[in-house]
Amino acid sequence: MSLLSDPEAAIADLSRPEKWVLGVSAAFALFLLAALLTGALGPTYFLFLVGLAGMYALLSFGLNAQWGYTGLINFSVAAFFGIGAYGSALMTADSSPIAGGFNPLVGLVVALVLAFVLALLIGIPTLRLRADYLAIASLGLAEVVRLIVLNERWLTNGSAGVRGIPSFFEGWPVLSTFPETMPGLRLVVIPGSPILLETSFWRASLNVLLVLAFAGATFLVLRRAHQSPWGRVLRTIRSDEDLARALGKNTYSFKMQSFVLGSLIMALAGVFYTHLNLYVGPGDLDPITTFYAWVAVILGGSGSNRGALFGGIVIVTIREGTRFLNDVALPIDPAPLRLLLIGVVIVAVMRYRPQGILPPQRELIWPSAVDDAGSDPPASGVREQKGGGDDE
Amino acid sequence: MSEGALPKEDAVLRVDDLQKSFGGLAATDHATFAVERGTITGLIGPNGAGKSTLFNLISGFYEPDGGTVEVNGTDVTGLEPYEVADHGLIRTFQTPRKLEGMTVREAMLVGPRNQPGESFVKLFATPGAVAESESTNLAEAERILEEFEIDHLAAQPATDISGGQMKLVELARAMLAEPEVLLLDEPVAGVNPTLAKKLKDQIRRLNEQGTTFLLIEHDMEFVMDLADPIVVLDQGSVLTEGTPEGVRSDDRVIDAYLGGGT
Repeated sequence: MSLLSDPEAAIADLSRPEKWVLGVSAAFALFLLAALLTGALGPTYFLFLVGLAGMYALLSFGLNAQWGYTGLINFSVAAFFGIGAYGSALMTADSSPIAGGFNPLVGLVVALVLAFVLALLIGIPTLRLRADYLAIASLGLAEVVRLIVLNERWLTNGSAGVRGIPSFFEGWPVLSTFPETMPGLRLVVIPGSPILLETSFWRASLNVLLVLAFAGATFLVLRRAHQSPWGRVLRTIRSDEDLARALGKNTYSFKMQSFVLGSLIMALAGVFYTHLNLYVGPGDLDPITTFYAWVAVILGGSGSNRGALFGGIVIVTIREGTRFLNDVALPIDPAPLRLLLIGVVIVAVMRYRPQGILPPQRELIWPSAVDDAGSDPPASGVREQKGGGDDE
Repeated sequence: MSEGALPKEDAVLRVDDLQKSFGGLAATDHATFAVERGTITGLIGPNGAGKSTLFNLISGFYEPDGGTVEVNGTDVTGLEPYEVADHGLIRTFQTPRKLEGMTVREAMLVGPRNQPGESFVKLFATPGAVAESESTNLAEAERILEEFEIDHLAAQPATDISGGQMKLVELARAMLAEPEVLLLDEPVAGVNPTLAKKLKDQIRRLNEQGTTFLLIEHDMEFVMDLADPIVVLDQGSVLTEGTPEGVRSDDRVIDAYLGGGT
């Protein structure tokens, strides 16, 4: 499906919800473009939003790898996100009470190792049990991690948080000084409202580059894993774990792999957030992050990587878009309505499209295998057709 | 009560003095029997006789309180279900759950054991080998679907086919796991007579090709026609075993079914 080489055929090949998403995305992109050109949306802030969208996409990817693939109920998304954020912040920041001053790559590795260990610790006792136990344990874990970060001042600075975090590309050749060396640009597209591209803009564009690298790499890894026999075992466990066991699959091991993979991706989102925001505090571990990730995955369609990406973008749009409602004269402050709006969206999706907006749709078989076997490539929209076959 | 157990030269499955209690109730009470290679062995008994418990004990879903289970001469007592499956014992379930979001073809491909593509590392280290095994398995799955005359279902969502068709798919999928002995839990429960006949023919055909079967079935006509020998279970232990004719005329069996005391 190459949208560039043969756009007409590619679009005709899409299912109805795909067309719908494509249309809405295109309209939204045009709207953003207009906002940028007229100066209503600052380019630096826009790039910050893109970074946030990438971060939420990563969180949704992580949760999707657990819940969407395997059916693992993880209510500690915020804890793994926080472990990633604090892990890298404590290694790299000047104000870090413990190590500090390390290269951000060291921070990245430390954060991932911490998340790995934490995922194992919570997975070992719970993954042999039924799904509810992980849900309960993870609910507790999220709060334990948050309280440790808040109270262990010698380790985390407590409620003051960690400041003085360098950009991710600090110490890299070329990229570390890239924002300063770029000239300030002044673009005039519409007379009277010039667009200024200065150092902060270039710094933000580096962040976008980083999140695109993280999210892109994650997406490619997940896509391959999802359509592999490995992913198929996870999807079997989601529907019927006993069946998978009876067919010789070590389901404990598969669940652990799925849980660890998802947790690492969440920590990756945390690492990115640290270097985007340049400050982390205990407030970043609030359960709301977990809530947003769940909404994104359910909205996009559990089990679908594209759906998780879409859900993540929708969450940021609602979260940040409602800020602009402040400019409009409303009788009440719109900020508290944000959660209400998300609630309404999720209720509407559950009512009219319980499988999510972009559920996994195509048959998931290792692609080259289908070609080799010489059978027809699985038609798109397999799950859209209903019945049709002669029944018995 | 193991006097009915005949010595078996070539047993693919051997259950010896197996015990399991739930609370004070002995669900499996010193059960002893063997399944000879190449047979279709029927396991019958009145409701509550402990047939399903016995299946769960053999396949590793329950851990026995005592006794042993041997598959192919290897002691598999207390092993995890996936380890028991690795020794060549595959089981099906009474009410197969449908795999959500999969086509029948995908659901079939869960069957083959130890696929290279089930290792996360190999997906990235040796994608070529993964693709190769996936092609082989896909071709094999399509061949088996054809043999079962359900190849027209291949692209159907697994959630959209009927219960009877699902039973056929389950049997077909179990064959992809290349079992030495296949345990079927009520293969024709709730299946219409036409499909039941088809299932019977398939089981017979697979048996002729070398698969050993042990099946629980309540449909007496079905099991008497298909299975030989038949093991009769009552109150957790083996009441008797023998040919369908022998079992049918055994007074103890009739008593057990009619609820008379043993």
